[in-house]
Amino acid sequence: MESLPLTEPVLLVLLSLAEQPRHGYSILKDVERMSGGRVKLSTGTLYGALHRLLDDAWIERVEEDESPRDRRPYRLTSRGRRNLQLEVERMRHLTKLAALRIARKEA
Amino acid sequence: MLSFYRLLLYLYPSLYRREYADEMTSVFRDAQAEASNGNFAERISFRARESGGLVAGALREHIGIISGSYRLISFTRFDMRPEFRFPRSTVFLMSIIFVGVILALEKANTIQVKYAAGAGSIWPSLPWFLGLTFLFICATVLVILGILFALGRSGAHRLANIQPGTNRTD
Repeated sequence: MESLPLTEPVLLVLLSLAEQPRHGYSILKDVERMSGGRVKLSTGTLYGALHRLLDDAWIERVEEDESPRDRRPYRLTSRGRRNLQLEVERMRHLTKLAALRIARKEA
Repeated sequence: MLSFYRLLLYLYPSLYRREYADEMTSVFRDAQAEASNGNFAERISFRARESGGLVAGALREHIGIISGSYRLISFTRFDMRPEFRFPRSTVFLMSIIFVGVILALEKANTIQVKYAAGAGSIWPSLPWFLGLTFLFICATVLVILGILFALGRSGAHRLANIQPGTNRTD
């Protein structure tokens, strides 16, 4: 299983799939869009992440008869969604803590 | 660039390649079409990113296999399944091994007969002995690699991944 905290590419891939099922290229573009063009995943990085997430059952392939083999969509599983929520919660706590510490230092 | 990309895909483990190569190539083709509209620096950056990503990804997968964390091949536990079938090449390899053993026995018998009259030691001189030992070890390693290759072709290592249900969600 991917251990928390997640790496940025993995987090962005999960966030991309949280909205709707997507195939590889769509994930690639969505990650770039979400990060404002800062994160551009290579196909090697993307499929390395997808491979591990599939192995850990955080995501699954959407089996569609009409989708070609080279353009198969992926979606989050309930386990993946739960772990993503945990990660977001962890980051929210960290952000809150950071804001408090910075504010205390400035005051 | 697409040919070069396909070439780099061969750096990956074969099972990984079979699973993802088509998808990766398709995604790369789309990404390349878009990158070709960019300027020279963007095109170079795209190529470097893709090449680096593939090499790093392939390395990661191989390290995963060697370290044992890779689930496609498990060296720690192997459950034999009734679906297991030896590939056809096994018969060929087994025949070679059998012929090799028979020839070795015959040769040993000949040497024994030759030196039975007490003409001297049955052991050759030390360099010859070491050379023959080295050749024997090489032959043994080759046979073991052949058997592992045949087992790899059989897909036996994938049987551990077979799950009774298709639903992987919790």
